Amino acid sequence: MATEFKLPELGENIETGDLVRLMISAGTSVTEGQPVMELETDKAVIEVPSSVSGTVGEIRVKEGDKLRVGQVIFTVENGAGSVAAQRSEAAPVPPKAPPATPTPAVVSRIEATAVPSTPASGASEFKLPELGENIDSGDLVRLMIAPGARVSEGQPVMELETDKAVVEVPSSVNGVVREIKVKEGEKVKVGQVIFTLEGGAVAPAEPPRKHEPVEHISGQQAARLAFRMAMQAEGKTEEQALPPDQPFAAPPAFTMPVQLGKVAGTEHRDPVPAAPSVRRLARELGVDIHSIQGSGPGGRISDDDVKLHAKNMLAAAVAAGQAPAAGHFAEPDLPDFTKWGKIERVSMRGVRRKTAEHLRQAWNTIPHVTQQDRADITELEQLRAKFAPRAEEAGGKMTVTAIALKVCASALKVFPQFNASIDMGKEEIIYKQYINIGVAVDTDRGLLVPVIRDVDKKNIVELAAELTQLSKKARDRKLTPEEMGGGTFTITNLGGIGGTGFSPIVNHPEVAILGLSRSRMEPEWVNSKFEPRLILPLSLSYDHRLIDGADAARFLRWIAEAFEQPFLLSVQG
Amino acid sequence: MAKLIEEAAQAKNWGVEFAEPKVDLNKLRGWKESVVKRLTAGLGQLAKQRSVQFVSGKAAFVNSTTLKVTKTAAGGEENMTFDRIVIATGSRPSVIPSLKLDSPRMMDSTSALDLPDIPKTLLVIGGGYIGLELGSVYATLGTKVTCVEMLSGLLPGADRDLVLPLHKRLEKLFSSIMLNTTVKSLKEEKTGIRVAFDGPDVKEKEQVFDRVLMSVGRRPNSEIPGLDKTKVKVNQKGFIEINAQRQTADPSIYAIGDVAGEPMLAHKAMHEGRTAVEAIAGHKVAFEPNAIPAVVFTDPEIAWAGLTETQAKEQGRAISVAKFPWGASGRAITLDRPEGLTKLLIDPKTERVLGVGIVGPGAGELIAEGVLAIEMCALAADVGMTIHPHPTLSETMMESAEVFYGHATDIYRPKKT
Repeated sequence: MATEFKLPELGENIETGDLVRLMISAGTSVTEGQPVMELETDKAVIEVPSSVSGTVGEIRVKEGDKLRVGQVIFTVENGAGSVAAQRSEAAPVPPKAPPATPTPAVVSRIEATAVPSTPASGASEFKLPELGENIDSGDLVRLMIAPGARVSEGQPVMELETDKAVVEVPSSVNGVVREIKVKEGEKVKVGQVIFTLEGGAVAPAEPPRKHEPVEHISGQQAARLAFRMAMQAEGKTEEQALPPDQPFAAPPAFTMPVQLGKVAGTEHRDPVPAAPSVRRLARELGVDIHSIQGSGPGGRISDDDVKLHAKNMLAAAVAAGQAPAAGHFAEPDLPDFTKWGKIERVSMRGVRRKTAEHLRQAWNTIPHVTQQDRADITELEQLRAKFAPRAEEAGGKMTVTAIALKVCASALKVFPQFNASIDMGKEEIIYKQYINIGVAVDTDRGLLVPVIRDVDKKNIVELAAELTQLSKKARDRKLTPEEMGGGTFTITNLGGIGGTGFSPIVNHPEVAILGLSRSRMEPEWVNSKFEPRLILPLSLSYDHRLIDGADAARFLRWIAEAFEQPFLLSVQG
Repeated sequence: MAKLIEEAAQAKNWGVEFAEPKVDLNKLRGWKESVVKRLTAGLGQLAKQRSVQFVSGKAAFVNSTTLKVTKTAAGGEENMTFDRIVIATGSRPSVIPSLKLDSPRMMDSTSALDLPDIPKTLLVIGGGYIGLELGSVYATLGTKVTCVEMLSGLLPGADRDLVLPLHKRLEKLFSSIMLNTTVKSLKEEKTGIRVAFDGPDVKEKEQVFDRVLMSVGRRPNSEIPGLDKTKVKVNQKGFIEINAQRQTADPSIYAIGDVAGEPMLAHKAMHEGRTAVEAIAGHKVAFEPNAIPAVVFTDPEIAWAGLTETQAKEQGRAISVAKFPWGASGRAITLDRPEGLTKLLIDPKTERVLGVGIVGPGAGELIAEGVLAIEMCALAADVGMTIHPHPTLSETMMESAEVFYGHATDIYRPKKT
């Protein structure tokens, strides 16, 4: 006898799905629990396990079909096993996704009719019923009952403000109110007792009818889904990523209807080169379509252009640690400092402003992590002292920074991902096949970063000479923009001043920066005893988008070891 | 109907001759009413099926969320509260106050549609689309129609090259078209309404007409009782001010259609209604069409969408205009209507179609393709490379696009250098 396998229930509000992949064919045998197909619902792609065992007879669906719960998928010959009725235990639970149905922002009355009136004795209290998906509490705005009042089922008893809407909550019980357990202004949780009754029939609070899912899977929907999945992959819900507009809260500055012949109430702008469906997608993603450069013929904007733009916006916003607004991020307003005393306002021009802009941009874009390590430079220090005169002859100073340049150049060759940049727009990593290292120089005008080119092709004496020369130029304000551009990595040495470690900010679009602090004699456990050793603290900040923590640790360890055993440079560097 | 009579008359040229038509006005009116009834009854049925409660009555606002309704059918008053309301009160024909005359001989567009009789003579005040449409109907039925327009051309605002073929045809159909002319006074007499004209080209200063049709535009119905008790704002022209979601300055009140602003067109209102409802339901929507088609249902029809040449000139915007005269269209020639014209307004840089204008029989149907082209931001090349059925008038869209590139098959225009 042929048994039918029907599409089982997949979860709340999921009634249909698109068949992405069939994993069986006629004649193959299936066993209960074995995945038989992949189904894309509007929440996720899920594998559907068989609830029957046997040999597949006829397959009644094909890939690309829209399947409904209960629809026959295939038949099984000499089938054994339960018939599709209930969901197998092995069924993967679809991940809890944000509600697919946009929650109406309108004040909605919770359907009183949805509460079944099955009288039950026992608990004579009214608990806050479920209000909808993802709503587990709300602020009690208004109580509509008082002790002694009679309530009947379906009668609104309070107004609750959830983060989505203000809802009227109907009673699910009949009787006389004895005691009210909540106060206006309180936060009330689902399941919390609102009031008790003096006897009377009680119907248990049951979740009201859920929103019907919107039966509408179009290309648009698919695009939104794809986008939503991308958002989730980045660890954000769509809600967080793109908070819904609040058109009703306060009508924005009112725009006058435009003159005759144009559409009233609609801001008149040049017709945007995007199809209506693409414009809708942009609106739904909270993107100003006018700010998008179309990639199609005549500047036509595709849905991909919109998604890419939204993604870039999101990336910038996530880095900024803020929810994206459509547009720029305003600095918070400053208080009036004169309230507390005299102040002086000085314009922030030149290097300082440039530094502020650049560092903020770097900080907003790059997820920073700083790795700390220490290098024993006792031996190196002796070598440095020994070779210092040679550098001096060449017109330079054999500093730790000069040596660090050489060490880093070698390390960057071994670890190319530290000599790279990220192109989020194109979703590409750019590996640079040249090693130009910037060195932060403290000048009286502020921080400047001259760049030494092709560091890997120069020896330490040459590097020392060039560094000395560039530092002097920086302090004499003679650096050209070219001399500060094109860096692939940066070194910043605060050792001359002091400190035991710090977190430098990566010099965007580079992906890593090495900070050196003051080296000092420390007791080190060497060969079963403490020895005084000269220790150089190293701080490596890196762009965690590209570089994993383990790689950073290895990279910094490599640098530390190179400092400890300069020989390593000639072997591996 | 008017078209049928016209075509029957024209058929003489094609070797088919009909006798003078006899018009049974009662039957004609009956047919019109049956069509209207069928369309409106269908609406009630649809509302019922969707369990939309229908209340018939006069309403006044009590506040932003309450309406006092005086019920027409059931009687009695009821205060109805709501979370959101959509105002769609439409518009009504305007009347020039100085020309207000209470007479059964005076008609507005509503009463003219009732077809009370076929007057011998009719004066149409206003050369806009309503006057021309209704004037054409009466003229075809045998009325001697005179049209008077204050400005220098019919259908002010429409591109002149589109109006010209209509103007030429109406000059034959109407007994006269008086431009640059104003009506100074209307006076009822026994035999008709005596009308005094004023204007540089006026020959007869006074004439008597059986009936006068006043079609000088429409006014929004925004004088809603109690509207002052809400935060709704009404502008100087009488339109309710709205935002892109069709929401008024009062967050709980929305407005759509004629009462909410130009253009006063039913198809605009329908889309606005959808936008308003979706906005209320919490969707992120906005009413931002790139093109709203406008159609004048005269013979020939005039239709346009998107940018017009007149607007482009006003904005000082550079555009290329690609025109395809229907004299080169096989279909237009078989219809004996070579006076038509299809033109595309094209952005010279991106080659996008920004506007479409058509004059000729069936222009109202043809314009839909133009609207789609504009909304989908089609390039002239897209329209030109789309295969259109031959022989049809729709080919003129494709041919105009080819004119832009200088290689239309059926018309020779030297290539642009």
